Amino acid sequence: MYKELLLEIGCEELPASWVPPLSEQLRTCIGIHLKEARLGFQTEPESFATPRRLVVHVARLAERQEDLEQTATGPSVQAAFDATGQPTPAALGFARKHGVAVGQLVQVQTSKGVYLSCRQKQRGAAARKVLAGVLAETLRGLTFKKQMNWDARLNDGRGEFLFGRPIRWLLFLFGGRVVPFVIERSGLALSRGVAPVRAGSLTYGHRFFGVDGKPGRPVRVKSFLEYEKALSQNYVLLSREKRRSRIESELKANAERVNGVVATETGESTLLDEVPDLVEYPSVVTGSFPKEFLALPEEVLKTTMIHHQHYFPVINKQADLTEHFLAVTNTPRDNVSAIARNSERVLVARLRDARFFWEADRSAALSSRLDRLDTLVFHAKLGSYLLKARRIEQLAGLVAREALGRVELAKNASRAALLAKADLTTDMVGEFPELQGVMGGIYAREDGECEAVWRSVYLHYLPIGVSVEAAPQPSDLGEARGCWAATSIADKLDTLVGLFHAGEKPRGARDPFGLRRQAHGFFRILVDLPELVGLKARPELGSLVSAAESVYEVSLSQEIIDRLYPFLLDRLRFVLEQRGHNVRNVRAVTQPLPSWRQIRPLDVRRKLEVLPEFTSSADFLQLAGLFKRVRNIAKELPEEEFGSVESGETEISDEPLESAEAHLIEELDRRRPKIEAVLDAGVDYRLAFAEAAGFGPAVDRFFTEVLVMVDNPFLRRRRLVLLKRLEELVLKLADVSELVKQK
Amino acid sequence: MTLQDLITSLSRFWAVRGCLIQQPLDVEVGAGTMHPETFLRVLGPQQWRVAYVQPSRRPADGRFGENPNRLFKHHQFQVILKPSPDAVQGLYLDSLRACGIDPAKHDVRFEEDNWESPTLGAWGIGWQVLLDGMEITQFTYFQQAGGIDLAPISVELTYGLERIAMHLQGVDDVYDLQWSAAVKYRTVRHQEEVEQTKYSFGMVDMPESEFSAYHRTLFDQYHHMAKTLIRSKLVLPALDMCLKCSHAFNILDASGGIGVTERAAYILKVRELAVAIAGAHLIGLDKEVPGVSQG
Repeated sequence: MYKELLLEIGCEELPASWVPPLSEQLRTCIGIHLKEARLGFQTEPESFATPRRLVVHVARLAERQEDLEQTATGPSVQAAFDATGQPTPAALGFARKHGVAVGQLVQVQTSKGVYLSCRQKQRGAAARKVLAGVLAETLRGLTFKKQMNWDARLNDGRGEFLFGRPIRWLLFLFGGRVVPFVIERSGLALSRGVAPVRAGSLTYGHRFFGVDGKPGRPVRVKSFLEYEKALSQNYVLLSREKRRSRIESELKANAERVNGVVATETGESTLLDEVPDLVEYPSVVTGSFPKEFLALPEEVLKTTMIHHQHYFPVINKQADLTEHFLAVTNTPRDNVSAIARNSERVLVARLRDARFFWEADRSAALSSRLDRLDTLVFHAKLGSYLLKARRIEQLAGLVAREALGRVELAKNASRAALLAKADLTTDMVGEFPELQGVMGGIYAREDGECEAVWRSVYLHYLPIGVSVEAAPQPSDLGEARGCWAATSIADKLDTLVGLFHAGEKPRGARDPFGLRRQAHGFFRILVDLPELVGLKARPELGSLVSAAESVYEVSLSQEIIDRLYPFLLDRLRFVLEQRGHNVRNVRAVTQPLPSWRQIRPLDVRRKLEVLPEFTSSADFLQLAGLFKRVRNIAKELPEEEFGSVESGETEISDEPLESAEAHLIEELDRRRPKIEAVLDAGVDYRLAFAEAAGFGPAVDRFFTEVLVMVDNPFLRRRRLVLLKRLEELVLKLADVSELVKQK
Repeated sequence: MTLQDLITSLSRFWAVRGCLIQQPLDVEVGAGTMHPETFLRVLGPQQWRVAYVQPSRRPADGRFGENPNRLFKHHQFQVILKPSPDAVQGLYLDSLRACGIDPAKHDVRFEEDNWESPTLGAWGIGWQVLLDGMEITQFTYFQQAGGIDLAPISVELTYGLERIAMHLQGVDDVYDLQWSAAVKYRTVRHQEEVEQTKYSFGMVDMPESEFSAYHRTLFDQYHHMAKTLIRSKLVLPALDMCLKCSHAFNILDASGGIGVTERAAYILKVRELAVAIAGAHLIGLDKEVPGVSQG
């Protein structure tokens, strides 16, 4: 038999960003714990959430637990009875442990012989009896970004009960009847006004509005149907979808009334994703501000409205901001005009501040602010932001000229890099830290810097900015494409190399300087260079690091290098894995071989794009399978010996070749130029991998027919050199041994 | 409702609900949280309810009396309820009604805004309360003070008096507020804002370097005395000295005399004092005869 389960956890206002994930957590969490408690359900749990309530409903939940059948195996029959057939202590002990007589044990045939076994059937308890335990587990199972102590305890043997916000009521019904449950309060807090929270059959509507104008009164419900009805009568839209669509349609209608359109945002989380979780009963009000504030930069207006006030800007048909804005309120529609007037006053006060900053900041050119950067410390061991600005000025030029091979970009890139941090001393950035970079770009534009320069400053934090994660679009970059890449790379490279040199390194969750994010941004530019900015350059990691070292006028110690490059490779792998590339493939193409310095992030990406076409081909898998052996044997050849052979100082044996040996040499001679041509050009890795796959049969035959480690040292060297050459060539593509499934 | 009526209304409201009406701390502070009635009372097990006005100085916010919203010194109405009663949000909303704000006629929201004071080693979970988009109160469930986990949990309600009064009086410039029926805020406070801003920004007849050196010395001397007082187990005087350090640091900061790293070092020094004071106070509490809590 099945009955309805309804749980509502009544909270004080939860942070908006937590609401949708908590709803999902609650749904999965209760499902897991119901299953663990052997309570079957015919309908899947469905969950809902608003800032003040987390709700889960199971329309058909089993009234009883499933019965439990347990079988325990005891001693073998041989060990269980003595020669006279009497039970031994082993048998007696086993029976006692399970609370039965020896006579009730049965004999079972197993692969090891005949054993005594105890079969017990435990009848399932009524769901009502176990649901309290399910709720306790569920409450414990919800996780929060930050949880709080609110003097609560659970009677589940674990005591202290932390949660996201205080719980003020629990509605917990099974088959229309309350399931007893209590959240206790700590002894220190118990007092008049602090009481345990007991599950009941009551819910509460909107904080300020209710049916018949009586808000805040509890409403008794018996079923989900009644519950939904009680909420809708009392100004709560339980469905997030409904709240969101109501907001959307009201925004649209309100914008149309002032002949405008709601400005859409770009980015990962938008205001429209946030507001449905700030309210239980949304309405939209329209306000406006004096037109004179439209003279402020669009970015400042938008940040003030969107980020500081959660208001939606309204744009006109030409996509320009208008003096109108829309605010989502948590109220019915009838008292909106007073709210609109008050919202206007708050916004105008903020805009007035912003205008003050705008005018004050523009009283001096951005370049004249550089001196003030001297008072801002970038890092204790690396000096001020002024020093940083001077360094990246130089480094951006180097990156443009050498790493990107575009001399003509160097001048503007240097200029942009020099100015990039100057906005840190502006009042506007002091007030709106999320506009750093952006404001610098705007002020540079106002100062008459050329487009390549001001856009590079504007976007230099991307692709990992304060609030925007995405890489800039070609339309954002305009004439700044290559210049932006040089500036942005230089900034990140300076930070990474400098801070590692200063002994900083992310540890676990601690990354106070955001070095991981810096590295992600750095690689996200490098792996997409042609697509992002239309450059053909394929900079090597080592040359970039060396450029930064030369600007710092240091050379990193081996110890620092040994910390820096694994970090960089890890971050490169992370960026690639995030794009959905296979983890094993990513490892294969990011081995620091022959050195991490030679890794070209762009080539790594290109290899990865074609590698999946080969990882299931028979020849390629044959090579991959044998490659570990190639690498192991090749280790027998000392580096200096190989070096002297390759430089021609040491001759190799001219004893007759075995045919498999000759065959492999031929293959190597034939395929090597093709592979090397691809490596040089950095395009068409498909061809190179196809050539490499072709080594498979020849290597297999070589290992079958030829003994490498022969006594004759000359012969041995010749064969080792052959394998070493093969190894070096293939490693330039990938460490294919990484592609073999671990057994 | 005048500013002084607002204070009277809030005081009466909370007095009736069992709060002791205390007076402001007579030392420069940046917030009501630094008052021993908050910072020390939230420590330990004793139940306590208190409310008071705290003039709060924020040197960096000084605007020469020219900005309609920003002040060198504003006034907070601070309420501490220990332990936090279950109905605290309702109580708070009732207090707004007592001041003439009907939440049903506005858009009142509790939006996530956790509070943290690095200098006090204190943090809490809570909200900013928004009235039609304007922040009027910081609502915090204290979790730690002086680096010590708290039990029971206190709730702190910090009302921004000027902002609420501006809303009630419908004025857009703080200086246009009626402090009393006859006297405007401008008359009471404008000169102070002008002069204190000039001082905070070092616009005085003293070279910049000397100004900053002077405040560094002040900081060091207060710091030295705070440590001495902590060793001498004189908790309240030690807290005064710690707060004086904090204020000297704020002036240094506002006048541009501190770099970022140095800034962190100063904050750490104040925090160490706060932690030591909180610890010393707790030891003192343990020695007290039980039964001193309020009835």
